Amino acid sequence: VAKTSLSSPPWPEVKLPDPVEEAKYHAAEVVRKVNGLISAGQYGRLFAVVHFASKQWKITSEDLIMMDNVLEAECGDRIRMEKVLLVGADDFTLIGRPLLGKDLVRVEATVIEKTESWPKVNMRFWRRHNYQRKKIIANPQTVLRINTIEIYPCLS
Amino acid sequence: FFQHFRGRKNRCYKLAVRSVRRAFVRSTKARKEKKRFLRALWITRIEAASLEHGLKYPAFISNLVKSQVELNRKVLADLAIYEPKTFKSLAALAQRRRQEGFLAALGDGKEPEGIFSRIVQHHY
Repeated sequence: VAKTSLSSPPWPEVKLPDPVEEAKYHAAEVVRKVNGLISAGQYGRLFAVVHFASKQWKITSEDLIMMDNVLEAECGDRIRMEKVLLVGADDFTLIGRPLLGKDLVRVEATVIEKTESWPKVNMRFWRRHNYQRKKIIANPQTVLRINTIEIYPCLS
Repeated sequence: FFQHFRGRKNRCYKLAVRSVRRAFVRSTKARKEKKRFLRALWITRIEAASLEHGLKYPAFISNLVKSQVELNRKVLADLAIYEPKTFKSLAALAQRRRQEGFLAALGDGKEPEGIFSRIVQHHY
């Protein structure tokens, strides 16, 4: 076919790599390398994205998280967070679809304090209608400290 | 509540009462709008970061959702700021899923199914 302006489609032709070959390469090279790195312990600081209290948090070790609700755990309790969406280090990241397995990642946290927030004023006012309502709201808050994030080399 | 106001509102009771009332009402309304504002901010940040990697925001988000990665915009914006390598890998994932979607739409079957388009069922 002669090469005219309409002989080939205007978008760039992209050839994806062969799926069988790619699966082999992935299973052999990539997984082995990453497993080797994890078992050798050659990662610096791990960060994780955790779904907790209906919010997603990007957490590392030794950092504080404050949530606007009550947890049914006493102060000083250790909590293991499931529902890890993403774990990463300097050289590699493990992206979950959508979650990562519990035998892969372990995120530990401790409940530090359970306080109330500062008293917020909730006021409604309509002018010229003699309507105003004032309400002071103090939400209960919980502070957690993330102790450790660990990964185990059980990829496949 | 009114010590930092401007003019006679920080000294005279009558004026202060009115302005304090307006300040309370405005803060309650702003608490609702803060959520909308922050989401728009995250979206612009993610858009800028994905354009650096050669993808537009709608393509990026739709391909991420189709590859079963449920990250919200706040976390994506934080990753784009503090973890550029991770964001680059997510952009590459979205690009690859986009190409597979194009092939599936144009080729119309009888071709190898894309790898990244497979829907995974996990048992935790």
